[in-house]
Amino acid sequence: MADTITINVDGKDVQVPPRTQLIEALRGPANTETPAFCYHQDLKVAGNCRICLVETEGPRGWALGISCHLQTAPGLKVRTQVSSDKIVKLRKGVMEFLLVNHPLDCPICDKAGECTLQEHYMGQGKHESRLDDAVGKQYKGGADHRFLDSKGIERGGKKIDLGPSIVLDQERCIICTRCVRFMSDVAKSPQLDIAGRGDHAYLTTFPDEPLNHEYDLNTADICPVGALTGKHFRFQQRVWMLKSVESIDPSDSLGANLTIDYNNSGSEGGKVWRLMPRRNPDVNKSWIANRTRLLYQNLAVNRLTDGKKAGGDCTIEDATIAAVAALKGAKRVAIVASGHLTTEDNAAVLALAEALGGKAEVFGGSWLTVGKADGIALSGDPVANRKGVELLGIKDNLDELVAKAKDFDVLLVAGNDLWSASAEKAAKLEVIPTRIALSAWVDATVAKATIAIGIRAWAEVRGSMVNCNGRVQLLQACPVVPNSQLEAAWSVLTALSKAAAKPLTWASEVDAWKSAQARGSAFAGMTYRSIGPMGQQVALSTTTVQPVAAGV
Amino acid sequence: MAKIVPRPNLSFWEQVYFVEIFKGLATTMGHAIRNLTGQTKFPTVSYPEVQYDLPRDYRARHRLMKRPDGSPRCVACFMCSTACPARCINIVAEEAPDKHIEKRPVRFEIDLLLCVFCGYCVEACPCDAIRMDTKLAVMAGDNRADFVVNKESLMEWKPTDYPADDTQSQKAPGGSLHAQALDEFKSGTYH
Repeated sequence: MADTITINVDGKDVQVPPRTQLIEALRGPANTETPAFCYHQDLKVAGNCRICLVETEGPRGWALGISCHLQTAPGLKVRTQVSSDKIVKLRKGVMEFLLVNHPLDCPICDKAGECTLQEHYMGQGKHESRLDDAVGKQYKGGADHRFLDSKGIERGGKKIDLGPSIVLDQERCIICTRCVRFMSDVAKSPQLDIAGRGDHAYLTTFPDEPLNHEYDLNTADICPVGALTGKHFRFQQRVWMLKSVESIDPSDSLGANLTIDYNNSGSEGGKVWRLMPRRNPDVNKSWIANRTRLLYQNLAVNRLTDGKKAGGDCTIEDATIAAVAALKGAKRVAIVASGHLTTEDNAAVLALAEALGGKAEVFGGSWLTVGKADGIALSGDPVANRKGVELLGIKDNLDELVAKAKDFDVLLVAGNDLWSASAEKAAKLEVIPTRIALSAWVDATVAKATIAIGIRAWAEVRGSMVNCNGRVQLLQACPVVPNSQLEAAWSVLTALSKAAAKPLTWASEVDAWKSAQARGSAFAGMTYRSIGPMGQQVALSTTTVQPVAAGV
Repeated sequence: MAKIVPRPNLSFWEQVYFVEIFKGLATTMGHAIRNLTGQTKFPTVSYPEVQYDLPRDYRARHRLMKRPDGSPRCVACFMCSTACPARCINIVAEEAPDKHIEKRPVRFEIDLLLCVFCGYCVEACPCDAIRMDTKLAVMAGDNRADFVVNKESLMEWKPTDYPADDTQSQKAPGGSLHAQALDEFKSGTYH
């Protein structure tokens, strides 16, 4: 929407979009910091924390209202903490009530450092508690900090196991209901609810029911305090010690946007500690699936960090030399591209085939089964870059390869685990005497290969993938690599082109991207800068778009 | 802006220069004679047979304080390693079986070769779990790994080596206040 309206914030006229939440207008165009605990951009408005309140002028003079619920309208006049001492005082009061039952265990709370409550407390709180133990939830003391509900039943606890992935600390919860709204409105599986009333309210699952949903770890992200924590990251690292790079989900063709949080200090060297969703309103909103989130756990496990030839392990260099020799001596070469690799890598596959001349043929596709889109952050297609491979002009013709496998004497598989996808179909490829596999992991294809070369995994390369809706998105390289000798697939393929009369001379992924642009007209004019962290849509005429809806 | 330094107003005898030199020499020789004839105490000691008693606040090698049951007071909050300008503290945390504590260190290592002995870790600790009052000013080792001290060696200290008014040390096993502190610890009233 291009048209804007004028509202007045603290005596200044500001251009804002019409009929949006006032809090968005304040935080965005009006550039006024507004705290909020219960408000979340991608959830329905609940308006229960009251910390975002502002003064607006109405027919009966200045009145208080919560900016997350008010909508912008022409001529709206707003006073915030900048011009109104009343707002400052009231927010302080709201904060005091929020902190009545909140413990001061920030030093051992995993949320510390990214906690909204901590942030705003430091910003505006800093007051002494005026409440004594007789008020509040009437904690019974002891290690569990259990309290009595309105019927006198003991509730709560510091460590409540809600299900397979989430732990609840009842004492830290400020009843903002973000998690409740997420489970009911986005996940469409209302497994959480607030029980009790007023001061005795508490967050709980239904009796004897666990919290187990493919998206339940998102509740830990949106929790403004440390009440909900993910078991996979609990007590692992303090968040301020992590650095992050922006990437996307490599296991699904929606390509949910995420950040890779890692650090490269400490005795263990570098490590990727977690993946966090990155907000992209056009792709995955603020959500990623648990399956995606736990992908980081494979990054250091079962990796192919060296090469393999003639049954034994060897260095990457030796494996590359062996592969070049095999390609040089080959009469017919079949090269299999992969939707699990970046567009750059697949451009390198095409360039290598071109360099090898008439003896090479490129095949593409996957035997993995395609599931259904869940409408939140998964499209169900495990081949993340299927569209990118298609836009490069590589056909989905693996079965054709199987049919004429006898014609070839060298098979080069670039990051496409054919034997895991369908061992039965792939077994027919074993008639090809020399099988070269490029893979980041020691997978079934590597086991069947005569020569294998380790490559970098998705988190360690810079490149692009095209999601199922035709959106080109970037992966950035996290510097944590199991073996610094490892190279991206395009780089290994460039090295393999020494087998050709005219080898490729690519220096970086930018050269690979330029090659991809030359092969796929849809990428014309796109640069890494223009794609940016949020992605860029390819022209609709060049692709058949089957939109996959993102969450609520 | 330039600072103007006024020239000192020297008297005639000071301007002559030689008189002042002999005055200075007299002072030096006076000290030498007094020291050699034993009229004053030498400021040096025959180290290492004789050692200075370091002041209480001297920042020496670290130690980890103990609870009455002998476990470290540390809750693995990483405040020390966050405050550390030399990044020499490496902690690996885990869930503690004791619900009062919640979190505890599995590993707590300090690389003494990286450490600059600034004492920020002691300042940052919210639990009085790390101190630098061991008076161990000299550390020796054959290789770099010897200077990475782990949790166990940081907890190797005896309460008897610390003054009686250091209550936190005396509550550790072997200290004068240990029995009472252990009772409190078991009953859940210990802090």
